[in-house]
Amino acid sequence: MITLTHFLVVSACIFCIGLYAVLAKRNTIMILVGIELMINAAILNFVAFGKYDKINYGGQVFALFAIVLAAAAVAVGLAIILNVYRHFKTINPENIHELKD
Amino acid sequence: MNVSIPNILDQIIASIPLFKPELALIIGFIVCIFMALFIERRWKNSTFIGCVVTLAFSLYYLIDQLSTTGTGFSGMWLVDPLSTYARLVIICSTLIIAIFLQQRHSKNNGDVYSILLAATLGMHVLSSTSNWLMAFIGIEMVSIASYILVGYFSQNKVQSEATMKYVLFGSVCAAVMLYGLSLVYGLTGNLDFQSAAHLQGLMDAPEAIVTLALLFVFTGIGFKLSFVPFHVWSPDVYQGAPTAITAFLSTIPKVGAIVLFARLYQSWSSTAFYFSELSTWFIIVVAVVTMLIGNLAALRQQDVKRMMAYSSIGHTGLLLMVVFAYQDAFSYLLFYVVAYVIMNLATFIFIDQIEQETGSTSLLSYAGLGKKMPLLFTAFTLVAVSLIGIPPTVGFVAKLLVFTSTFSIFQSSGDTGPLLLLIVGALTAVISLFFYFKIPLYAFLRNSDQPITDKKQVSVLLIIAYILTVLVILLGIFPNWLMEKVS
Repeated sequence: MITLTHFLVVSACIFCIGLYAVLAKRNTIMILVGIELMINAAILNFVAFGKYDKINYGGQVFALFAIVLAAAAVAVGLAIILNVYRHFKTINPENIHELKD
Repeated sequence: MNVSIPNILDQIIASIPLFKPELALIIGFIVCIFMALFIERRWKNSTFIGCVVTLAFSLYYLIDQLSTTGTGFSGMWLVDPLSTYARLVIICSTLIIAIFLQQRHSKNNGDVYSILLAATLGMHVLSSTSNWLMAFIGIEMVSIASYILVGYFSQNKVQSEATMKYVLFGSVCAAVMLYGLSLVYGLTGNLDFQSAAHLQGLMDAPEAIVTLALLFVFTGIGFKLSFVPFHVWSPDVYQGAPTAITAFLSTIPKVGAIVLFARLYQSWSSTAFYFSELSTWFIIVVAVVTMLIGNLAALRQQDVKRMMAYSSIGHTGLLLMVVFAYQDAFSYLLFYVVAYVIMNLATFIFIDQIEQETGSTSLLSYAGLGKKMPLLFTAFTLVAVSLIGIPPTVGFVAKLLVFTSTFSIFQSSGDTGPLLLLIVGALTAVISLFFYFKIPLYAFLRNSDQPITDKKQVSVLLIIAYILTVLVILLGIFPNWLMEKVS
């Protein structure tokens, strides 16, 4: 029997993996993948909780909108990373530090 | 709730009048995309004209809405005086930004206007909703549009790096906020943060989860408002972006976000339960730290745009203080927002004008410029005086109102929180004197060896900036003009 707790544990694990991918910052694309994992963890949560919200289906609707917005953000992010690669010839965040205090 | 489809449709049609300013923006956005594609080649500046016409239509419908209050789209859309006035401020300043872009980046700028309209739409959504779904859509719309705006004109390493940092930081904050929202939704089963069910759910939930969820949610709002510790992106982005875009980033998104935050704080702080205490302490601590870090870091900046970035972080701290001080009366919040927007827009137009003539945004390059551009630097100094908060300027009145109200909260409650806010607020006002006065110091009292020829050109942009400067003084002497309007 799969209960709500199972979903929450899985989504918490996915969120932590995503956060690790962001904080490790080896590669900009990997950071984007990490962000995507975090968003998907939240979406999983929304759908799981949405089962108990039978009136408005707010969770499901929120999940749909979140998927669309995440796709838009990733599209813009990839375009900008391409632009960075043209200037720096690398996408490792540790080698990109022209702006400083 | 088994509502039949005709009923739902009737409800949607009935709510459309509340949505007219936004409908104008949506139509204008689509029209502008096509204009940039097909008409811009033959008829230059057509997209700019399309953008201005759209904003004018939206403004017209907004003025129509001034006296209406109501909700639409099953409670997702909220129109009240706070939202209408905030949207007025947003539209007017977007108009100035559009002119700014048209004057400074006249080549290959077609798509920028449609993106600017999309960002405006996002800010409208932010300032007139109490629903988490709409709030998240609004934040993401503004964010994605701002990423594109920052990167649109990027030509060198610095600009593309600034864009990349902005995108990555923004997306991470949005993802964290989304996770927090999912937790809040799980705890309450309701997405409207003003509703009773939502507050009840937060009251019943265990403290640890509530803390986690609230802090996650504040992350997303904190990114848009750039308060500490989510401010690290703003100096890099402000310095790297073109000045017109910096003027946009430092003013308009903050209006939408602070209105959302004020609504949220008003509904969450009113109970005697754990989450209210948490949000009150959160806002006090964050306001104090933001004011301190913003103003102290601004002291050692040599680049004017970077200095203004830290100064706007400091002002965010003050905005949070306004939210804390006036939980019932939104008119003071609006007054501070209007003052902040006027001052920042004027400052960035001046910075850009000087950049056009000297090609630099470094403070050292301002040396001796005061004698060559006396009018510009006099006006610049006046705006700087207003940013510090010295009479007779609008910045002084705004700060005075905030401090008085915080003091009366302290007197009636005797808590240490308001007292701390007062002390830090006064202290940082003194600190800010030192870095804002660097501008007239370099301009009037230092001499430079390089001869700079003043081109003596009067542009539309400078006239706007001078009008804004006059407004800074006039509203400082007669604050009632504005206060009577917004209350």
